[in-house]
Amino acid sequence: MKLKPIIINTFIESVRDRILIILIVLGLLLMASAKIIQPLALGEESKIIKDLGLSAINLVSVLIAIFVGGRLIYKEIEKRTIYIVLSKPVRRWEFILGKFFGLLLVLFVSLLILAIGFFIVLLLTNIRADFTLLLPLLLLIFQLAIITALAIFFSTFVTPIGASIFTFILYFVGHLTRDLKAFAAMVKNPVITFIANLFYYLLPNLANFNIKGMVVHNVPIPPSVLLLTILYGILYSAGLLFLSVLFFQRKDL
Amino acid sequence: MRKVSLTLLGVITIILWLFSITRLQLILDKKRKKPLRELLVEELAYFPSGKFLKPMVIEYENLAADLVWLRAIQYYGHHLMTDRRYTWLGHIFSILTQLDPKFIGAYRFGGMTLAWDAGEPEEAINLLRRGMRFNPLRWELPFDIAFIYYMISRDYEKAGDYFYIASKMPETWGISHRWAAFSYGRTEKRREFGKILFQDLYESTKNPEMKRIARRGLKFIKREEDMEYLQKGIDNYYQKYKKYPADLKELLASGFIDSIPKEPTGGFYTITFDQEGKAKVSYSQPRRR
Repeated sequence: MKLKPIIINTFIESVRDRILIILIVLGLLLMASAKIIQPLALGEESKIIKDLGLSAINLVSVLIAIFVGGRLIYKEIEKRTIYIVLSKPVRRWEFILGKFFGLLLVLFVSLLILAIGFFIVLLLTNIRADFTLLLPLLLLIFQLAIITALAIFFSTFVTPIGASIFTFILYFVGHLTRDLKAFAAMVKNPVITFIANLFYYLLPNLANFNIKGMVVHNVPIPPSVLLLTILYGILYSAGLLFLSVLFFQRKDL
Repeated sequence: MRKVSLTLLGVITIILWLFSITRLQLILDKKRKKPLRELLVEELAYFPSGKFLKPMVIEYENLAADLVWLRAIQYYGHHLMTDRRYTWLGHIFSILTQLDPKFIGAYRFGGMTLAWDAGEPEEAINLLRRGMRFNPLRWELPFDIAFIYYMISRDYEKAGDYFYIASKMPETWGISHRWAAFSYGRTEKRREFGKILFQDLYESTKNPEMKRIARRGLKFIKREEDMEYLQKGIDNYYQKYKKYPADLKELLASGFIDSIPKEPTGGFYTITFDQEGKAKVSYSQPRRR
């Protein structure tokens, strides 16, 4: 298994990426703005600061996954470094998995930095930091796994910009499939219903991973729902990685 | 030398650029006839409902609701200090709560400002009722509806119903029971419900002061029942003899009542006559030591 060196290499390479640093700083600044909002919130500062912190972490992590992930494979091809890697006893699936876990490690570290920033903001604003606030971040990791797998999947056959755009579209649509299904049910047209169902079940249902509001409002989340959502994230990412490997195997390099 | 002058030129260009965009923005702001806070609210008017806005903000609906909340506060504060006209207030809170249906603070603030400041109690009640649909276990929402019915609409029956609902919610404010009883006290159902509510209050609280209030409430209802019973006896006596009994003992002897009940607060019942000579039951309270 040559996974470890690829993971470490992907991690080091991505950490050097300026876009990563810019996005993390942006996220931290966004969370720090809570201090300005606090006096304007009229008794709702706890909710607003938690919403702001969790949303900032979410948005920044998703952007990192989309922009850094979209360039991951294509950059190797463009710089021709892939030929050096593949000339060594590294199988193509190992390369894809290494890239995936390398980027996931980057995302995990970024998320950790942002989460520490978030808890510092809570401390500075005298808002009780609850253990449950970690739950949306836990699910975010699995949402990021899907987005990273999507970015890598597109990265195997389109340009970095194309991969980022497609991933972003699927991220957006992935949060809308529930609405699409609900709207289709209202229209009562069998063709529209069929298409909406196709979208709902085949496209990643990313709304499953959004529990930020529930946690902020102290709505209890059954552990079974959390576990099944995590399982969904693992299964969906695994499928996408499998497809990525298939595409990458056929690629003429 | 050439490098220094190029850097200087760069710095001057950036300063000029910053100055010109700031200046241009100031001119644009002046050209607008309405203040920025009004424009921010009017932007929301383009969305007929938060339902359409929600899909556009995908998983950031709570954050979007928070931004609308900040705009709502600014809008309310500005009109409170100026013309006291709140044309868009209902619309803003409707969008806000559709984005985040669990935002209790928004329902409560929206409900109170709509009812009191905007003079729209019906709109306020609709907003709070919608809140109840999404938050069926939050006592604050039926409590606020009841409060509006009681204080503004003067619909005591409905006020009582909503106070009663609030009193049954988890972690409810103890006062909900009392308010339900007070509200029903103005309707025909008052004793029936009042007794249940005060009994519930007595059993549900460990607070001795609350228990005292509940006991007192039950005694007041008992006294009203006693007085109604005695008055009925007097009226029946009058119908038969075309005169009133001189006292309660005479009424008891006539057989129109079975017994003279004990006044529950330690006093006693008596018959008094008004200026027209009509007999009425009244009570005397025990002397305070």
